[in-house]
Amino acid sequence: MGLQTPWLIAVLAALLASRRCWLVMPALLVAGQAAAQDVERGEAIYRTWCQDCHGEDGKGDGPAADRMLPRPRDFVAARYQIRTTASGALPTDDDLMRVMGEGLPGTAMPGWPNLSDDEKRDVIAYIKSLSPFFERETPETLQRSVDPGGGPEAATAGREIFERLECDRCHGRLGRGDGSSAASLEDWRDLPIRATDLTEPWLFNGGMGADAIHTRFLTGLDGTPMPSNQDALEAGIVTEQDLWHLAHYVASLGPEREPDVEEVVRIERRETLPGGPDDEAWESVRAFYVPLIGQIVEAPRQFSPTVDGVWAQGVHNGSELALRIVWDDPSNSPDPEWQEWQDRIAATLYADEVEIPTDPLPDLLFLQFPSEVPEGRERPYFLMGDGRDPVYLWLWHSRRGAVEARAAGLGAAEALDSAGSGLAASAKWEAGQWRVVFRRPLATEEDGALGFAEGVPIPVAFFASDGSSGETGGRGAISSWYYVVLQPPTSRAAFVAPLIAMLVTGGLGMFAVRRAQRSVHSEGRG
Amino acid sequence: MSRFRSYLSHPFWGSLLVLVFSYLGLKFGIGYLLPAVGVHSAPVPSSVLLQYMLTVFVAILLYVSTDEERWRAFKQPIRDVMVDPARRTMRAVLLVAFPVLAGFVTYGRVRAEVGAPPSLRSIHPAPPNDLTFRGERIRLTSLQNPLRESGLLEERVRTGGRLYVQNCVPCHGDRLDGEGPAAHALNPVPADFTDNGSISQLTESYVFWRIAKGGPGLPVEGAPWNSAMPVWEDILTADEIWSVILFIYERSGSRPRTWEEAEGTGEGDEG
Repeated sequence: MGLQTPWLIAVLAALLASRRCWLVMPALLVAGQAAAQDVERGEAIYRTWCQDCHGEDGKGDGPAADRMLPRPRDFVAARYQIRTTASGALPTDDDLMRVMGEGLPGTAMPGWPNLSDDEKRDVIAYIKSLSPFFERETPETLQRSVDPGGGPEAATAGREIFERLECDRCHGRLGRGDGSSAASLEDWRDLPIRATDLTEPWLFNGGMGADAIHTRFLTGLDGTPMPSNQDALEAGIVTEQDLWHLAHYVASLGPEREPDVEEVVRIERRETLPGGPDDEAWESVRAFYVPLIGQIVEAPRQFSPTVDGVWAQGVHNGSELALRIVWDDPSNSPDPEWQEWQDRIAATLYADEVEIPTDPLPDLLFLQFPSEVPEGRERPYFLMGDGRDPVYLWLWHSRRGAVEARAAGLGAAEALDSAGSGLAASAKWEAGQWRVVFRRPLATEEDGALGFAEGVPIPVAFFASDGSSGETGGRGAISSWYYVVLQPPTSRAAFVAPLIAMLVTGGLGMFAVRRAQRSVHSEGRG
Repeated sequence: MSRFRSYLSHPFWGSLLVLVFSYLGLKFGIGYLLPAVGVHSAPVPSSVLLQYMLTVFVAILLYVSTDEERWRAFKQPIRDVMVDPARRTMRAVLLVAFPVLAGFVTYGRVRAEVGAPPSLRSIHPAPPNDLTFRGERIRLTSLQNPLRESGLLEERVRTGGRLYVQNCVPCHGDRLDGEGPAAHALNPVPADFTDNGSISQLTESYVFWRIAKGGPGLPVEGAPWNSAMPVWEDILTADEIWSVILFIYERSGSRPRTWEEAEGTGEGDEG
């Protein structure tokens, strides 16, 4: 509205001065009104769907904002991360349309398929009216060079650029967001910001794939420590081709799409079990992805946890079970280098909690099982059981290793009295990733401990806490119930039944052919 | 081309073609083509697919056997393969191929992997007659949302909206469609309030019960061990819960079931 008014007056004045003004004036007035309505309609939609996160005045400070990391966009400051325009520039309308249509993966911003394109345009007109900057400049999409193509060579070349541009300082040597400065990163509002884990591209705010990644290199993520490489390009520090190679290298660090989730984690049967967390034998064992979400069921809650998923793989040999759990965590907690980060996360996310932990905290992993294989449908409560039906736990602590425990509710875990069932764990943290191997005999005499039977689904649930983000006492990332199934030895029936089927089918076939041929012969004779 | 056409009009090859097209249509058409043109649909389960294919097969047999001439023509290619000396190789190949296929299918069946047990969860289990909310006994039967009578309705809806976005959005989503940012990791999936089978089938007292007692408060047929729905009476007051209820009805554009409607039909029996 503010933009159009002076302009309209000027045009009207010019037209009034001319003779044919009466011809054009009504049309102009209608056009002016339509533009004003856009903003009004947009505001109505904004009030309904957007303001609870982005705030009444658009400052990104709605009632839900305090629990989010990253925080919702501040439309008044108008620093937009995901754009196709130059560093420091505003986004185009198309950029905003894309974000409203598809949402921002890895954040709380969803796509809005319930709004029509016209409605989205109205909302965009409104949020642009919140910032004076949009009146002053017209954003333009950056011209980009053509992708010379990917492949292993491009990725290898890109790896050199990754090192040359020191991407590892934030993103880490292997891209897991564990770089040397990761613990001190902050955004333009001085809030802590996690370096993106480049091995989980399905959570990239700007989308996955070399093309989207390349766009981020040119535009930078305004308001975050992620810079634009446009200057480096102009200064000749990197070439157009270098940036494409780098984009293909970053794309090669993760899978091409979000991993599928299956309800059953299959435990292969093998003669020998793989050894420690780095044993190469694990490479040939299928890994199952289990997504985790913040524990927001019981206080103390965590709405923006560090760990967003674990990979589970397992092998058994009929008497012993080996399970390897792998997950990305940028810090090997407790780590004094992350102490400041821990305090800042607590101040940013847990401000409404009574007690904020200040000690350096360890990383934790809980594997929950029922205390016996359930016969009917009933199982313990998925969040650490309850008084009626406790869970049997493998509780791993980043400094003390694993113990067997039982829990009757969140924060009510107690180690089993005796030595337990012989659970052993070995763990390794390397380049932003924990790899923990649990080993335990299948059978157990221990009271409250689960005996693992073969060929039946056994419920399992996961719980991971990152100490350096102040996650303790129930704060952390959880899963719902999954199952492990230990592959039973192949029974004789598996070979006998197909043999019988083949004999019967073959026999019937021969019989039919014989009969047919005989009848032809007899016809011929007859 | 004309040769191809004569094949099509031949009862045997025509029937085979019908079978193949039926299979493709049932397998991919219903599950993937219809959604592509905007019709709500889902893939057909393999057991149902087998039923459909048997029906098609029987229909084909009925058709070809209604006419003596057609029946003979239909049988001809089968008979040829069985008796014609010139088709010896073909005969041998088929006599080996069929048993091998049968063995293979049987092996797959026998070795079928153990899956997750079926979840026989009742979505809307029958509610109790009364509940204890923070030590206070509340009779659920005929209970109304007290805030609807209190005036200031708009204000209450706004409060409910604020609480919803602070507490419920991670699972139930900004659009109330059960697709919040945390929904992908949950099984069972969070309730979709925009769905016709959801809150518009329920009285506000039922919704109050479900919010106040959460997953752990479900009866056994609701599989309380699975639901991640918190016990909100530990976090929100009764008024706060009632205002969230106002909000979710208002925003999803649905209307709560009244006690008059619920009577007789027995709310919650639909499961």
